[in-house]
Amino acid sequence: MTSQTARTLGASLRYEFRMQVRKRSVWIVPALTVVLFLLIGGSLLRDLFDPNERKGQPAEARTAVVGLAVQVHALLSIGFGCLLADRLIRDDRLRVAPILDATPARPGARLVGKYLGAGAATAVPILVVYFGFAAAYAVHTDAPQALGWALATCAVVIVPGLLFVAAFALTLPLVMPAPLFRVIFVGYWLWGNVVVPDMMPTLARTLVHPLGGYPLDALLDFHGIDGDDTWAGPVPGATLNFLRPAPTPTTAWLSIAVLLVVAAAALAGGHAVRARRA
Amino acid sequence: MRIEISGLTKTYRGGVAALDGLDLTVPTGMFGLLGANGAGKTTLMRILAGLVRPTSGRVTVGGHDMSTGAGRTAVQRGLGYLPQDLGVYPDLTARQFLDYLALLKGVDDRTTRRRRVGELLEVVALTGDADRRLRGFSGGMRQRVGIAQALLADPQLLIVDEPTAGLDPQERIRFRTLLSQFAGRRTVLLSTHIVDDIAQTCGEVAVLARGRLIFRGTVDELTHRARGRVWSVVTDGPPPAEGMVVSALPHEGGTRYRVVAPAAPDPRARPVEPAIEDGYLALTTR
Ligand SMILES: Nc1ncnc2c1ncn2[C@@H]1O[C@H](COP(=O)(O)OP(=O)(O)OP(=O)(O)O)[C@@H](O)[C@H]1O
Ligand SMILES: [Mg+2]
Repeated sequence: MTSQTARTLGASLRYEFRMQVRKRSVWIVPALTVVLFLLIGGSLLRDLFDPNERKGQPAEARTAVVGLAVQVHALLSIGFGCLLADRLIRDDRLRVAPILDATPARPGARLVGKYLGAGAATAVPILVVYFGFAAAYAVHTDAPQALGWALATCAVVIVPGLLFVAAFALTLPLVMPAPLFRVIFVGYWLWGNVVVPDMMPTLARTLVHPLGGYPLDALLDFHGIDGDDTWAGPVPGATLNFLRPAPTPTTAWLSIAVLLVVAAAALAGGHAVRARRA
Repeated sequence: MRIEISGLTKTYRGGVAALDGLDLTVPTGMFGLLGANGAGKTTLMRILAGLVRPTSGRVTVGGHDMSTGAGRTAVQRGLGYLPQDLGVYPDLTARQFLDYLALLKGVDDRTTRRRRVGELLEVVALTGDADRRLRGFSGGMRQRVGIAQALLADPQLLIVDEPTAGLDPQERIRFRTLLSQFAGRRTVLLSTHIVDDIAQTCGEVAVLARGRLIFRGTVDELTHRARGRVWSVVTDGPPPAEGMVVSALPHEGGTRYRVVAPAAPDPRARPVEPAIEDGYLALTTR
């Protein structure tokens, strides 16, 4: 990467972050989702914060904050994908694209800068919510190690998942209307994460599982709040089992790498589509 | 920067031939581009800015071949471009927007960039509004932001597509003066429908029609095309049926019509001195 490319990337990152983080919907959508979470996820919070709920056995810090991450990630990523869907196409819609494209700045570097900048801005409220809950938990149960686990979970589960989602949210609206993308994305998110594999073919529990089944299972040793769930690996009789090797630390890192490679491919595809339109 | 265009054709998807075998050389200095709506001016400018690839033909700018990526980037390093249909990011202030574009144009040094953005805001008379969001800018103010961004990196080639559309008369005159001062040893390619703007600034001019070159020469030569074809006639009857009525002014005893026509449109018509607009009309209305 030449220094000029790095500077282009840095400039787009900064300005795309700035524009997105100031957008009201970037804060309102996650706020409403959290309200929803508090209403439907109340039982989980009670599990975590009220020891009496769990027969006097409070969940230990790791299980608690990882469990929290799964809930926050599963719910707030939906809004995250929807909020990013206009970012790339709006350059055309606002008619700013011609002046950007007439600069000597490399379009690929601008795209990556936009991806990281707008993605980071949209992730800020999610991280605020997650670390807010994790900090509350750490104080409430006097378990400072909870924050360490929260950071680790963020790094191996939330960030790779969001990078995966952001790549598609940015580029797919180049080939379909953004509202249609949002509908399809929500459907995909529920199908690929929630639907159990013996019901119908799904990406849940595979290496391409943006909710992070492999790292949850093999890196964080998380098996549900009650300790008897698994999050990755083959399901007897399900299709796509070739994508579900046994969860080990190696397959967990492999799964993170697969998410990032697929994300990079989506960005490269988007870049090619734009270049072709010239 | 000298622009050389030969056999340039652009056919859009759907089969519209916006440019049809265009040959044109643009020297340094101010150069005007005229032509009816849809004549292909914007298409030509978008090709020169590296935004659109031609269907066929050859374009070099300052010796750089626009058909290669390296050639386009080399041209873009010295390019200022003001599109006809300019947009801005509504959520940035004028100063931030210009700062962002300066960064993309490779003005890396922070102090230089700040100074340059400040100077240009001054040039387009927006210093007082520099820290307001662009969302609240009027059309003419946005256009001035567009002018400022085109001048950011001290371009050797400035392509401005109808830059004075939407400007008030003061700003329009200020801007065209600015353009002439700026031109010097650089190349400024100006397209407009305000023929007078070209007369006041450009040495040479090209006229496009349906994607082809129908005239290239000096402003005086263009004016000359109307010699013996501009008429003045006063009548209280209907306007002359022949030719193109350029103006109609109330006059004692009826209306005074100025008409561009190959022959006297009326026995009472007197020939008058042509202006550049008459030349353009004589050329494009037959
Ligand atoms: N993106 C496009 N897709 C299809 N056709 C196009 C496109 N852009 C321009 N055209 C067509 O190409 C022709 C030339 O258009 P162009 O915009 O270059 O004209 P122009 O001289 O700039 O006109 P105006 O004075 O109205 O700005 C027109 O017939 C137009 O309809
Ligand atoms: Mg045009």
